[in-house]
Amino acid sequence: MSAKDVAHHVITYRNVFILLLICTGLTVGAAYVDFNVPKSMAGALFVGLTIAIFKGYLVAGNFMHLKTEKKIIHYILFLTVFFLFVLLAVPVLWHIDLVK
Amino acid sequence: MEIPYNVEVREDTGVYNSKLGIWLFLASEVMLFGGLFSAFILLRTGAPVWPPIGVNGSILPLLEHTIPHATFNTIVLIASSVTMVMAWVALKTKDLGKFKIYLGSTILCAIIFLVVKYFEYTHKIHEGFVPAHDTFMAIYFTITGLHGLHIIGGIIVLAYFFGPGIKMWDTEPERFTNRIEIVGLYWHFVDLVWIFLFPSLYLLN
Amino acid sequence: MSDSHHQESFWRKYIFSTDHKIIGIQYGITALLFMFLGFTLMMVMRWQLAFPDQAVPVIGGLIKWLAELNGFASDGNLPADLYNVFGAMHGTIMIFLGVVPLVVGAFGNYIVPLQIGAPDMAFPKLNMSSYWVYFIGGVIMFASFFLPGGAANSGWTSYPPLADIATTGQTYWLVGMVFLITSSLLGSVNIIVTIVQLRAEGLTWMRLPFFVWSQLVTSFLLLLAFPPLEAAGIFQLMDRVFGTSFFLPSGLVVGGEALNVSGGGSPLLWQHLFWFLAHPEVYVLILPGMGVVGEILANNTRKPLYGYKSLVYSAIFLGFMSFVVWAHHMFLTGMGQGMSVFFQTTTMIISVPSVIILSCFMLSLWGGSIRFNSPMLFALGWIPMFGIGGLTGLPLGLSTPDIHLHDTYYVIGHFHYVVAPGTIFAIFAGIYYWFPKMTGKKLDETLGKLHFYSSFIFMNGIFMPMFIQGMAGVSRRLADGGQAYAHAQDVLVYNEVMSWSAWLLAVAQIPFIINIFRTMMAEREASPDPNPWQATTIEWTDTTSPPLGHGNFEKAPVVHRGPYEYSVPEAKSDYSPQTQS
Repeated sequence: MSAKDVAHHVITYRNVFILLLICTGLTVGAAYVDFNVPKSMAGALFVGLTIAIFKGYLVAGNFMHLKTEKKIIHYILFLTVFFLFVLLAVPVLWHIDLVK
Repeated sequence: MEIPYNVEVREDTGVYNSKLGIWLFLASEVMLFGGLFSAFILLRTGAPVWPPIGVNGSILPLLEHTIPHATFNTIVLIASSVTMVMAWVALKTKDLGKFKIYLGSTILCAIIFLVVKYFEYTHKIHEGFVPAHDTFMAIYFTITGLHGLHIIGGIIVLAYFFGPGIKMWDTEPERFTNRIEIVGLYWHFVDLVWIFLFPSLYLLN
Repeated sequence: MSDSHHQESFWRKYIFSTDHKIIGIQYGITALLFMFLGFTLMMVMRWQLAFPDQAVPVIGGLIKWLAELNGFASDGNLPADLYNVFGAMHGTIMIFLGVVPLVVGAFGNYIVPLQIGAPDMAFPKLNMSSYWVYFIGGVIMFASFFLPGGAANSGWTSYPPLADIATTGQTYWLVGMVFLITSSLLGSVNIIVTIVQLRAEGLTWMRLPFFVWSQLVTSFLLLLAFPPLEAAGIFQLMDRVFGTSFFLPSGLVVGGEALNVSGGGSPLLWQHLFWFLAHPEVYVLILPGMGVVGEILANNTRKPLYGYKSLVYSAIFLGFMSFVVWAHHMFLTGMGQGMSVFFQTTTMIISVPSVIILSCFMLSLWGGSIRFNSPMLFALGWIPMFGIGGLTGLPLGLSTPDIHLHDTYYVIGHFHYVVAPGTIFAIFAGIYYWFPKMTGKKLDETLGKLHFYSSFIFMNGIFMPMFIQGMAGVSRRLADGGQAYAHAQDVLVYNEVMSWSAWLLAVAQIPFIINIFRTMMAEREASPDPNPWQATTIEWTDTTSPPLGHGNFEKAPVVHRGPYEYSVPEAKSDYSPQTQS
C-alpha cells in the first residue's frame, strides 16, 4: 500500500467517523421529537431504523471494506440477507394472519 | 502438500482462506442476531403495551434516564471501530508502534463499554427490573447480554494480538496483518449489531 | 510432506489430531456408537408398545435401576415418564448426535478434501475443536439420563410451554444443543472454505463430484439455519433459568395453579425458530446421502450420472427452498389462510427438485452394466426407500389432509422412510464403498449382502405398518401403543409386527459388525490396490489406501475432466480418471 493510498484511507475513515457521530446525534434527537401525529410511533420507527441502516451501511461499506470486497463475499451476504429477511418478515406476517 | 492460500490470495476467488471463513462466520452471526430480532419484533407486535407494564410498573422512565449512557456507549463503540481499522492501516504501513497504540485504544474502548454496561445492568436490577419482570426486560437482557459476550470474546482475541500474538509480526508480517484484518471484521460486526440494538431497545419505545 | 513424517505421540496422532482423516474416523466411530444407543432406546420403547407394562426382557433390571434413579416407579417395565424421555432422546440422539455427525462430520471430513485434491481441511485446528465440541455436547446429553426426572422428555422438538416447565433434563438438553450447534457451525465454515478455496487445479465447479456439491449445499444449510435455533435455545434457557416468559403466554395454568411468571410471550415463537432450523435440517440429513448414492451409482453402472447439471442445480434449489417451507409443520396452530396457502405452495415446489434427483438416479441405471456389490445394493435400496418417504410427505405438505394425519404414526412413517432406510442406507453404502480407501482392505461381500437383504426387509417391516396405523388415526405420543384408544383397536396387531421387525433389524446388524471387525483384524496386503472399484474421482486415483498421513497427496493433482467419465468411447479402459490428461 502506497503512502498516498494510506492517506486516502485515513481521510475516508475520519469522514465516516464524523458522519457516524452526526447520525448518532440525529437518531437520539429524532427519538425525542414528538411527531404530533396519531401514528407518531410508526414515524419514529421509520426514521430511527432508516438512520440505523444508513449507519450500518457506513460501517460495513468502509470499515469492513465491503465496497471493494470480492464477488464471492457479496454473493454469500446477499444469500444471508435474503434468509434474514425471510426470518424477520415471515413470522410477523404469519402472526398478523393468525386466526383470532 | 501444505495447505495453500493461508496468506496469499487464490486467483479465481480473489480471497485468502480466513477471509472467506470469517465472512461465513459473520453470515451465521447475522442469522443468530436475526433470530433474536425476529423474536423481538414478534413479541413487540403481539404486546398490547410496549414495554409491557409489570409488577414494578413500566421500565420507560428508567429507560429514558439511561439514554445518555447508551448514547455514550454508542460513541465509544464507534470510536473503537475507527481505532481498529486504524490499527490495520498502521500494520499496512509497517508502523508497529502506531499499531500498538490503536489496538490498545480499541481494547480500552471495549472495556469502557463493558463498565458502563455493568452500571446500567446493576441499576436496572436494583430497581427490580430483572429479566423475569416482563418480556421487554427479557429480550433486553438477552440481546444486550449476548452482545456483551461478543464484546468479551473480542477483548480476549484483541488482547491476544496485543500480547503474545504479536510475535508473529517478526516471522510472518503478512499473515499477522491478515489476522488483524480478520479480527477487525469481527469487531466491526459487533459494532454494527450495536448500531441496530441502540435505537431498537433504548430509543423507539 | 515427507519431511513432516516425524514421530508423533499417540495423543497428537489419534486423539487430538488435526488430520482430517483421523477426525473423520473419530466422528464416524463416535456417531455410530451414539446411533447404536439411540436405536437401543427405540428397541426398549418398541417392547412397551407391543407388550405394554410388561417387564422388559434381558435389560429389565437396567430399566428398573434407571427408572428408580430418575424417580419413577418400575418393575422392570418402561414407565410412561421414562417412555417420554426415551422418545425425546431417541430423536435428539439419532439426528444431532448420530446422522448429522456421520454424514457431515465423518464423510464430509474424510472424503471432501480427498475428492477435491486438497492436502487437508482449510482450518485443521478448527476441525479438531469442532469434533471435541461435538463430543462434549454428546456427553452432556448422555449425562442428563441420570438426573432426577430423567433426560429431556418434551419430544425432540422441545415445544414450550411444556419444555419450559419440564424437569432439569431439558436444561441439559439446551446446553448440549448449544455445543452441538457450535460444532456444526465450525464444521460448516470449514467445509465451505475447503471446497471453495482448496480445489485442485483444473477442478472447476462443474467438474466437482456430486458428493462435494451435496456437502457444499448442506454446509450452507447448517451455517444459516442453525443460528436461529441457537437463539431459540438461548431464549428457552432464559425461560428456564431466569424465569423469563419468551414462550409463556399470560394466564398459564399448570396443575390447577396459575404459573408465577410475567407472561406475554408466545409458544409459537419457539416453533417458528425451531422449524426454521429443523426443516433445512431434513435436507442436511438427506443431501449428503444423495451425494453418496450418486457416487456409487455412477461407479457401479459404469456410466456417467444422468443429468449431472440438473442434479447440481436441483441440490442448490432444494437447499434454497428449504428455508421457506418451515411452517408446513405448523398447519394446525391456528394459521390463517394466506400463510397456509403460501407454505403449502412452497412445499409443493420443493418436491420438484427432489423428484428430479430421484429421476436422474433411476435414469442413470438405464443401459448400465450394473455391478451388484454391497455398496451398490444399499444405493439401489435407497432409491425406492427415499421415494416412498418423499411421496408420503406430499399429503402432509397440503394443509387439508394434514388435519387428519398430523401427529399420527403416518408422520413417523414418512420421515423415518426418508431418514432411516433413506439416509442410513446411504451411510451403509458409503461405509462399504470407502472402507477400502480408509483401511486398504475390502469388506466381505457375502456378509455385506446378508446385511443388506435382512436390513431391507426389517426396515420396511418397521415403517410400512406405521402408515396404516397413522391413517387409522393412532397418535404418535401414546405410551401404550393405543391399547386404551378406541380408534386404534383394529390396527393394534401391527404393533407386534413392528416391534419384532425392530429387534430383528438389530440382529441384522450383526453381520455388519462382524464384517467390520474381521476385516480390520485381517492382514493388509503389502501394497493394496488404491482403486479397487475402478473409480474416476481423485480420492481413488491419486492417493494410496489409506492416504498419506499428512498432506494426502505426493504431489498436487491436476484435473483434466469431469467426475464421471465412465465407458468413454475409444478410451483404453472403461473409466477415465479425472486427473488423466
